Amino acid sequence: MEGILLFAISIGTLAAIYGMVTLALNLETGTGPLWDLGIVSFFGIGAYAYVILTAAPAEGHQHYLYGFGLPMWLGVIGAALAGAVAAWFIGLPSLRLRKEYFLIVTLAFAEVLRQLYINEDWLTNGVAGIYGLEQPLRGLVEARQYTYVLFALAICGLLAVWALTRMISLSAFGRACKALRENEALAITAGIDPRRTSMVLYVLAGAFTAVAGVFYVWYNTLVVPGQFSSDLTFFVWTALIIGGVGSSRGALFGAFIFILLHDSLRFLQVSGETAVTLTSLRTALIGLLLILILRFRPNGIFPETRVVFKLPDRAKAAEGAKRKGLA
Amino acid sequence: MDILIFGLISGSIILLSSVGFAMIVKVEGFLNIAHGQMLLLGAYLGLFFSGYGLPLAVTMLLASIATGVIGMLCYGLLFRPVKSQGLLVLLFTSVGAAYVIHGVVGAIAGKRMLAYDLPPTRAIRIFGEPFMTRYELTTVILALVLALAVHLFMTHTRAGKEIRAVSDNEDLARVRGIDPVRSSYLVWFVASALGGLAGVLMGIMGSLHLGMGWQQIIIILATTVLGGIGSIYGVMLAAFVLAFGIEIGLLFAEPSYRSGIAFLIIIVVLFVRPQGLQSLWGAGKLRTH
Repeated sequence: MEGILLFAISIGTLAAIYGMVTLALNLETGTGPLWDLGIVSFFGIGAYAYVILTAAPAEGHQHYLYGFGLPMWLGVIGAALAGAVAAWFIGLPSLRLRKEYFLIVTLAFAEVLRQLYINEDWLTNGVAGIYGLEQPLRGLVEARQYTYVLFALAICGLLAVWALTRMISLSAFGRACKALRENEALAITAGIDPRRTSMVLYVLAGAFTAVAGVFYVWYNTLVVPGQFSSDLTFFVWTALIIGGVGSSRGALFGAFIFILLHDSLRFLQVSGETAVTLTSLRTALIGLLLILILRFRPNGIFPETRVVFKLPDRAKAAEGAKRKGLA
Repeated sequence: MDILIFGLISGSIILLSSVGFAMIVKVEGFLNIAHGQMLLLGAYLGLFFSGYGLPLAVTMLLASIATGVIGMLCYGLLFRPVKSQGLLVLLFTSVGAAYVIHGVVGAIAGKRMLAYDLPPTRAIRIFGEPFMTRYELTTVILALVLALAVHLFMTHTRAGKEIRAVSDNEDLARVRGIDPVRSSYLVWFVASALGGLAGVLMGIMGSLHLGMGWQQIIIILATTVLGGIGSIYGVMLAAFVLAFGIEIGLLFAEPSYRSGIAFLIIIVVLFVRPQGLQSLWGAGKLRTH
């Protein structure tokens, strides 16, 4: 019984981490106009930046040159910064492109990055990865209870990302993003700079995803290049579409449903051959679900709800300002 | 010389896998991610047919026809009903279709690496130098002939002209008595059959594994962007530019950077020419959105 509970908590932690990435993607695609097929880039960069900053220096059999052994909070900040800088760097050429081209170029960058992780083993220790990484608050409780601590941490992270993305999408900046999404020409006429707005949005999403990458490192206690293939991008997109593009409730729901479908099979103990068949059928099932949702509920299970903004009355505001000036 | 030969061979494979993708982009206007899985499907269907001891040519033909029919079914069952929902829905329906095909093939075939049971061959010698094997030569010739056939089909047959008319302006084509649904079915058949054939050839020259569809779709996407989205001729040119680019790039980088080099090439090209290679002959400027 306790085994099942621990497993559920572990799945829940993973779902919370995916939830963060899905929320970040929702910020780009649901609120803003960016169809990003390379969200895994920032997930990976966040994870590796954190590991390089905080890991202990390499031992004899390992190849990586830098393990700075810095405290964790510095690692998290460093990861967020690295994600933001990477987004700025990738956005510089790719945000000039039209939608479909942007889609493919972001996918391209993600693929190039994955090959960098594999090949540049002076930085990343190559395919062998870096193992045995420390987890936060590890010493506070005994080992058996730690799963709960990590779950609580991941939920806190998820809530923080949720609150931040919500704040952003309700702000004036978020409204500008929505205007760009709906009608770029009209948005430009209204004085919105499409390239600058998209860039800020892209950088923000990059930073959020990078932080989610840090949680992923804590969850796995290791990094290997295989974790950051484009599969993850497609998984997150699938989760977002199942839940509903444009609604943060949908994004969260989608992430949890997806993880439930995708990872609950790990619990079954079966022979290797059957396991292969099961994973394949699971992939087919996820695909079928995606097709059915798009066919019958193209806006997802929780479609985007309209938000009415009450802007302060211009005339009144001007009058108020005048009065202040007189006084 | 080696660069020339390897570039020619890998360019032919890229060409065969990308032409079908480009046709669907041109007519349907979306990126069909499931096209990579058509390669996988073709390769494994080929393996299935060759299990009956059929000659290789018959195997190839059967596998590509079967893949073509499955492509038509995908269009009729999955894509046509959601066509009015816009690009994003179509794109992710194709991702869903890719998962389904990948999953079903995996469940039936298992995750082991497989290979066609073929007699080993030596490279044909020209002027005493090893040139390429019989299979590789067949691939190159097939790719070039089929590219020419696609060109002739699109420009000189009634069905091909109808397809072009529909892709340019569907309403206008319908007014002129063309049935857009019929030409779409035709496009999906031809495109998927070409993809299936490319899959069989990839299987013949290498081995079969479940990841090949995902791997190749990334190269296909790179080729499509390089050539310019919606341009079939641009893609034909891009296939060889990319293949030679990769071979030359491999002189300076590790072999494991293969697709990385491909993407660096397209990132650089898009910087200079955001419409892809098709803008070299002034195409692609009309599409605005």
